[in-house]
Amino acid sequence: MNLKKITKKTEFYIAVIILVFCILVQLRSGQFFTNNNIVDLLRSMTIPMMFCVGEMMVLISGGVDCSFPAIASLSMYFVCTRMDGMFGNPLPYFLVAILLGLMMGALNGFIVAKFKFPAMIVTLGTSSLFLGIMQGILGSSEYPLTSALNALGTTKILTATNAQSGLTSELPIHFVFMVILIVATWFLMNKTMLGRAIYAVGGDEVAAARAGFNVFGTRMFIFCLSGALAGFIGVCRASMLLTVSPNNMIGMEMDVIAACVLGGVSLVGGRGGIIGAVLGTALMTIVSNSLILLGVSTQWSRVFTGVIIIVGTAVSAIQEQRRKKKLFVTVSAKPEV
Amino acid sequence: MKKKLLATLLTAAMAATMLIGCGSSSDTNAPEKDASGDDAQTTEDGGEASDGDASASGGDYKIAVVVKGNTNGWFVRMEEGIKKWADETGINAWMTGPTDTDSAQQIQIIQDVMNQDIDALCVVPVDPAACEPVLQEARDKGIKVITHEGTTVQNCDYNIEAFDNAGYGAFIMDNLAELMGEEGTYTTMVGFLTTASHNEWADGAVAQQEAKYANMTLLEALPRVESENNTETAYEKAKEVLKTYPEVTGFVGTCSDDTPGIARAISELGLSEKVHVVGTGMPDECREMLKDGSLTCITLWDPADAGYAMCELARKVLDGEEIGNGTDLGLEAYSNLVVDESNERLLMGNGFISLTADNVDEYHF
Repeated sequence: MNLKKITKKTEFYIAVIILVFCILVQLRSGQFFTNNNIVDLLRSMTIPMMFCVGEMMVLISGGVDCSFPAIASLSMYFVCTRMDGMFGNPLPYFLVAILLGLMMGALNGFIVAKFKFPAMIVTLGTSSLFLGIMQGILGSSEYPLTSALNALGTTKILTATNAQSGLTSELPIHFVFMVILIVATWFLMNKTMLGRAIYAVGGDEVAAARAGFNVFGTRMFIFCLSGALAGFIGVCRASMLLTVSPNNMIGMEMDVIAACVLGGVSLVGGRGGIIGAVLGTALMTIVSNSLILLGVSTQWSRVFTGVIIIVGTAVSAIQEQRRKKKLFVTVSAKPEV
Repeated sequence: MKKKLLATLLTAAMAATMLIGCGSSSDTNAPEKDASGDDAQTTEDGGEASDGDASASGGDYKIAVVVKGNTNGWFVRMEEGIKKWADETGINAWMTGPTDTDSAQQIQIIQDVMNQDIDALCVVPVDPAACEPVLQEARDKGIKVITHEGTTVQNCDYNIEAFDNAGYGAFIMDNLAELMGEEGTYTTMVGFLTTASHNEWADGAVAQQEAKYANMTLLEALPRVESENNTETAYEKAKEVLKTYPEVTGFVGTCSDDTPGIARAISELGLSEKVHVVGTGMPDECREMLKDGSLTCITLWDPADAGYAMCELARKVLDGEEIGNGTDLGLEAYSNLVVDESNERLLMGNGFISLTADNVDEYHF
């Protein structure tokens, strides 16, 4: 890929914004490019990044999933409280959570794909339903984490010690899960027929059906996958927090969707990619974790975050408009009569 | 066809939800009725005996305490206090409440106990405003009404709170100052800048430091941090503060999510010896951290004491004793009540406690 081609991509501009912002924080605080700060940031983005990867696939398929925090919370809460101490190995907890998430995702997918209701409303509804089940039937409250997951949560792959200040930061094993998930998603979306089907269904449902793609099946698959991932990520979150906090993930959906859109994933489907989603999440995480380093007071932090989101989205929107203009040049060359 | 199928499904789902709802509420009533049945018998037995000398101790009262949810660990602990009071005084007092924290169910239960010939009703309302009509009904029947965690309630004889907000903040600061050796720079964390109680506690802590600890300073560049009521955010923000302002050696946590989050950040950064945090924390959530040393102490108020105090206050009201500044409810935390300046029905104790590794196992919520 040559340089000219790269500068036409949304991802390029998001990367530039990230770089400029990082340098700004470095100049202001002198603490940004320290090994412990980088490790802190990588740790902070682990969970949002995994959610973002799942949401990106749903968005590309032309849907939207607002229920993943609820699915993650309910699956996590169920396995952590109802299976507390049953296994010495974390694997069964993950498997059951994935299965529960899959079932909840399938409910979303069935309603959306079968009856063609708007995905946003359906998932907002099921989100409320799942949280209701967690609060009403399971009686959610803070709960100590089961020992198998606690052991997993304290497994570190890296410890960074700042030579100057002596501060240490640790990177938990979940970071590896995130990397694997990103690579697997890249492969699925770019190298498989299923990935093509997801893009095709999101781009134009009718055209995709005529081209022989199974629209119902693809939509079902996407929501099931999103649900299963949410179940997995929910357990990851609990084991990173080292406590079962049922309300901890609620409200994350908006940040995650914003991160996807920042990275150039289209809200109406068919466009976007894993690199954009990764960069979008990176930008959101870096901004929200650098405001104190930057010296922004608590009163103004929301204004600052808002401006960054708008600037970032504007960049990708302008990029998209340019692309469209180019497409239409030849078509509208002939003046109207 | 599809639409019909969906409509049927939705109706079925709704019906199922209703059934589940009814199921849990009938569960709620069952043990409660059993309990009150037993209690009624006890009173009859006790009633005969005390008929002669009832005037001395007022031993034939019936006091019901209706809490937000009777399975919640917080209220299970409160029930211990109520039972202790009942044992000490020999007066029939019992606790009940919905299995889930649900305002409608709670009002139903208040109505049920009102018809059991009680003398006083103590309520920890789920939704204070929604409770007003039923509390008024109770007072019209001549039942004395005491509320807790309901400063806005109009239809009560008294509302009792564990403490005033500034006093609790000062208590947090006293504990923090002790850990910091009364010197160093600190900052405060709240759920949101808009959360009234958290900010009043933080203000109270700062006021206490200014009054008593001259060698301590509030971090001027960042006097207040938001945790958004999220342990993870508290953890991330605490790390950022410590990276940016290495002079900080103390944190005041207000929200129960702040304290464990900050503690985790401190221990991960390897600053356990140098940096300290004191703030509101829930025993279940902080137990491990208190035991492994990453947290030294958490502050909170004991629901058992609040339950005890409500019953004792109800007895005093029934006996016609005068209530006001300095009233002693027989517990250290409520030995010197303060009447709020703007609301004469609002009483406040100094019922805060601090938990350490040694006594955290006495609390399960």
